[in-house]
Amino acid sequence: MTATSRVPAAWRPATFVAALAGYGVFAYWAAHSTLYIQGLVLVAAVFGMLAVSLDLVAGMTGLYSLGHAGLFALGAYATTILYNDHHWNLFLILPACLLGVGAVGLVLGAVSLRVSGLYFAITTFVFTLVVTVFASDSTFTGGYGGLIGPIFPEFPSWLGWAGQSVIWACLIALLLTTLVVLAIRSSPLYPVLLAIRDAEPFAASAGASTAAVRIGLFGLSAAIAGGAGWMFAFQGIVSPSQFSWQVSVNILVMVILGGINTTIGPILGAVFITVFPAQVNINPFWQEILFGALFVGVIVVFPSGFVGLIRLIGRQIGRRLGLAGPAAPRVEEEQPGIVDAAAVSAVARAEERAAAASSNGSVPETPAIDCRDISFRYRSGPLVLNGVDFVVRRATIHGLIGPNGSGKSTLVDLISGRLRPVGGSIEIEGVAVDREGVTKRVGHGVARTFQSAVLVNELSARQNVQVGLYSRVPRLAARSLAWPALPSARRDGRRLRQTVDDSLAFVGAREWGRVRLADAPHGIAQLTQLAAACAWGPRTLILDEPLAGLAPSEVEHAASILTKLKSSGVSIVLIEHQPRFVFALCDDVTVLAAGEVVATGPAAAVREDEHVRRVYLGQ
Amino acid sequence: MTANALELRGLRAGYGRYDVLRGIDLHVAPGEAVGLLGPNGAGKSTLLKAVMGLVKHRTGGLSIAGTDVIRMPAHKIARGHAALVPEGRRLFVDQPIEDNLLLGAFHLRRDTARVAELLESVYGLFPVLRDVRMRQAGALSGGQQQMVAIGRMLMSDPTVLLLDEPSLGLAPIAIGEVAEALERLREEGRSILVVEQRVDLALRMCDRIYVLAGGEVALEERARALGEDGRALIDAYLG
Amino acid sequence: MTQVLLSGVAIGAIYGLVGMGFAIAFYVTRVINFAEGQLLMVGVMVAAWFARTGLNPWVAIVLGILAAAAVGAITYLVAVRPVLAFDRFSFSWLVSTLGVALILENGAALIWGPTSRSFPALLTGTSVHVGSATLTLQEVVTIAVAVAAAIGFELYRRRTLFGKLGMAIAHDPEMATALGANTVLVATAAFALAGAFAGLAGVMIGPITYSNPYLGDTYGIAGFVALMIGGTARPAAAMVGGLLLGILGEAANKLIDTQASDWFPFVVVVVMLLVLPEGLLSLTAPFRRAVRRARAPAGAPG
Repeated sequence: MTATSRVPAAWRPATFVAALAGYGVFAYWAAHSTLYIQGLVLVAAVFGMLAVSLDLVAGMTGLYSLGHAGLFALGAYATTILYNDHHWNLFLILPACLLGVGAVGLVLGAVSLRVSGLYFAITTFVFTLVVTVFASDSTFTGGYGGLIGPIFPEFPSWLGWAGQSVIWACLIALLLTTLVVLAIRSSPLYPVLLAIRDAEPFAASAGASTAAVRIGLFGLSAAIAGGAGWMFAFQGIVSPSQFSWQVSVNILVMVILGGINTTIGPILGAVFITVFPAQVNINPFWQEILFGALFVGVIVVFPSGFVGLIRLIGRQIGRRLGLAGPAAPRVEEEQPGIVDAAAVSAVARAEERAAAASSNGSVPETPAIDCRDISFRYRSGPLVLNGVDFVVRRATIHGLIGPNGSGKSTLVDLISGRLRPVGGSIEIEGVAVDREGVTKRVGHGVARTFQSAVLVNELSARQNVQVGLYSRVPRLAARSLAWPALPSARRDGRRLRQTVDDSLAFVGAREWGRVRLADAPHGIAQLTQLAAACAWGPRTLILDEPLAGLAPSEVEHAASILTKLKSSGVSIVLIEHQPRFVFALCDDVTVLAAGEVVATGPAAAVREDEHVRRVYLGQ
Repeated sequence: MTANALELRGLRAGYGRYDVLRGIDLHVAPGEAVGLLGPNGAGKSTLLKAVMGLVKHRTGGLSIAGTDVIRMPAHKIARGHAALVPEGRRLFVDQPIEDNLLLGAFHLRRDTARVAELLESVYGLFPVLRDVRMRQAGALSGGQQQMVAIGRMLMSDPTVLLLDEPSLGLAPIAIGEVAEALERLREEGRSILVVEQRVDLALRMCDRIYVLAGGEVALEERARALGEDGRALIDAYLG
Repeated sequence: MTQVLLSGVAIGAIYGLVGMGFAIAFYVTRVINFAEGQLLMVGVMVAAWFARTGLNPWVAIVLGILAAAAVGAITYLVAVRPVLAFDRFSFSWLVSTLGVALILENGAALIWGPTSRSFPALLTGTSVHVGSATLTLQEVVTIAVAVAAAIGFELYRRRTLFGKLGMAIAHDPEMATALGANTVLVATAAFALAGAFAGLAGVMIGPITYSNPYLGDTYGIAGFVALMIGGTARPAAAMVGGLLLGILGEAANKLIDTQASDWFPFVVVVVMLLVLPEGLLSLTAPFRRAVRRARAPAGAPG
């Protein structure tokens, strides 16, 4: 299944406007209906906001937070206390809530860097617990009984025809939240978020400061939860029991039941869980049993939640209407290399870009990479690298070979910044980089690939390559919040798509562009990785076993790509195991064994070296 | 006439909506080593997984030593019919080597004598493993891990041995050791089906070669019969 | 002080058993069974019911534990396996096991009513004195049984091939299948054992709490916290976590106020998680590494 939208592009603005209009009609109806329904709509909308905010971090970044009830509580209590006791204007409290709770979210997000997964869920769970205990025990929060919330100001008389203002307010708030999430989802930030979730080294090597993005996203999510709290205060009572950790779990259930990592899923889940207990009026025990049975039933039959159910119905309808289903993934032999005119010109553009990225004409003297006397060990283990000197001359292909476990990947991790050496120094293009992390080293023009292609399997090849272009989209994180609305975004989007296509054509994988990597063979993942690394025009390229799993023709093609890159001035470090390939292609070769350099120098000389023949080639 | 160690007749298999294998006819005679070549996406790994029962949808003829296994669940097939060395080895890295090997003979665990015998023969094939048998599997080099994976496969005493790209990611010296081990197994008369990306290795290790392309068999030939022209023919199929 | 320690250990033993229930299911399937606390409740409710019908109370207790085990197995087959079969890394089991918890809790309330009912008190009456502290016989037996269960399970897991298989299945279920393991059978057995542990905890605490359908909530959370304290690497660590939790709770009750046990242990857990993300037993990691290195022969890293 490709990751592109199911609605044909031409229809999209029309469906959007239609949906908006329908929403408006619903809001009008709700704003005029009974108090009971209005209460239900308000609560459902608030939880819709909460569920959407949780999906931002749980679905897109993989951070399962049980702290959203606590953030929610902070917003609701702050609103009530600031209004009742300090008489702030309600519409001044809102930005205060967003910023204040957002700030708390930044702190929680920072915690996520230390503990992740299950343990992060626990930590956020305790956060909620602490907030509720504090609220129950303090006098200024009204203790267990809670406080009486503010009343939402009525519409001025000329808007009186619209009905209850609070209903419009909460539905507009929900709409805005949804639009923000939609914007992020349609922006180039989305693949990067998934990369941070599933393939963090890949995201980092593309120049994304993964920690900052995670923390920032959590802050955004918290701000929305705080806003939901502000909205919630208007339904009347604010008391600790409304924000218990069970509520946190409920929000997560809403997200999963509705459909995690979808725009509409969390809202569906929130509506269902809010409305169901209110509407189903039977014996309370049977009601809960039915509720529980629905949980089990829906998830077991539709593991992707309500959205999965809707997609199934949509497919059935589509089939009846004769609309084409998603394209079959290719399983025939792919065409080797470059075959048509469009691809040829794409490659030419890519070459131009590579040439432009490197210095203009003359080759500088300072080596691309200069490592002196590098030593490394993991914590208190044995030395993995011992006194290694590794110098890569500009615009050369430098092979790094050696038996498995000799330390090649570790050396590369040290150069790219994933690890810090215990001893020795590293310079990139003459600049000492010892203190710099991965993101900064990307700034020196260093790109790398990984031994087992670390990519986002859920996304297509094109989207993965797009991740590689993260650093080429100015202020992406901030602009993603309103992406579809920005005119500059359309320009950037076009440019991105062109560069991505060119990159894929350059490596010979253009036809696989729209195929999900999970459905594509391993060799395509390798090529995608290579494309992602080359896409932004690095000056130094480090490739860790890029040929593993490639067919002979693809290997030949890779060789020609590397030669082209070299002639554009790119310096390349190549870790590989096929000696025929390595010695034919590389200018210099360094041989590592058991963490030490066995031989280094021009390829021809190293090849004839006695020791090398014994240790590595087994001759 | 003795049944083939492995026989596929019109086998179709796939993971979801689309068939990856579209009607495969293939056999491995008892004591034969057969190589399976082909470009990416041709279905080589899927074929091995289908034999092991790890692929959801399988139809057609599939038998091991005369026993029809098309309906057999995967864990039953693994109990003596076939065993797999998967791509990337997939050892249990947190457990010691000997435990990894013993888990390979899990279904035989009550027959302690036989398990001990099998363990001895694995150590005989790979003496270096005996020295490090209490080390965690994750601490070994790629070549040694491959030996453990092959040993684990042998521990279930299977009728047919399946290997998925055993040379992947290995240094030339390690590849040499693996190839030697496979040759010894061949001499012992084991039936082997090995998927390889490298034509030279496949020709060295096997009696017969199949080339798979687009989910179908494109070529079947005896290794010895392939001269220089044959090599070129295979390269053409591989793209 | 000794009283706090001993009473804490007595209640902690219960938490530890529930915690081990969570841990055993997690060990094989990487799933947190949100209905684990309810399995404790099933144990105590079924035992109490059978005892009310006149059956020998010991038989009733055994039946209660078996019922909990059976419900555990059914939970896996109905709510967990289909989710994992679809996507091994999905978190949807959170919703489905929560659904099972709702069904069990409200089902019990429907059948037996929401109020507490009596439970056969077989061991109360006698007291045991340790120094200045007093424990009931029930408490002593609880501690002994819990510790024995933890040690027994740990030995089984480490020494037998079946135990190692459980770890292999959690690590790579497809590969385990390719080695002949019937992973569904092993996982079902794990969930049944997890149910038995929880049921055992239930029948031992029955005389104190009586049988009521809402026991699962409190003890479920406590058991889960016990798991977090001990860490997920080895199930028996949850028993250590439970004992520690019990002691902390009693200490908090005594030293702060009687409500403190509601939140104090949680705060401790968080502080601990921030300091030791792998759980308490990771402190022994360098020690274990040294032991491993001493056992393995010296040689190049490979």
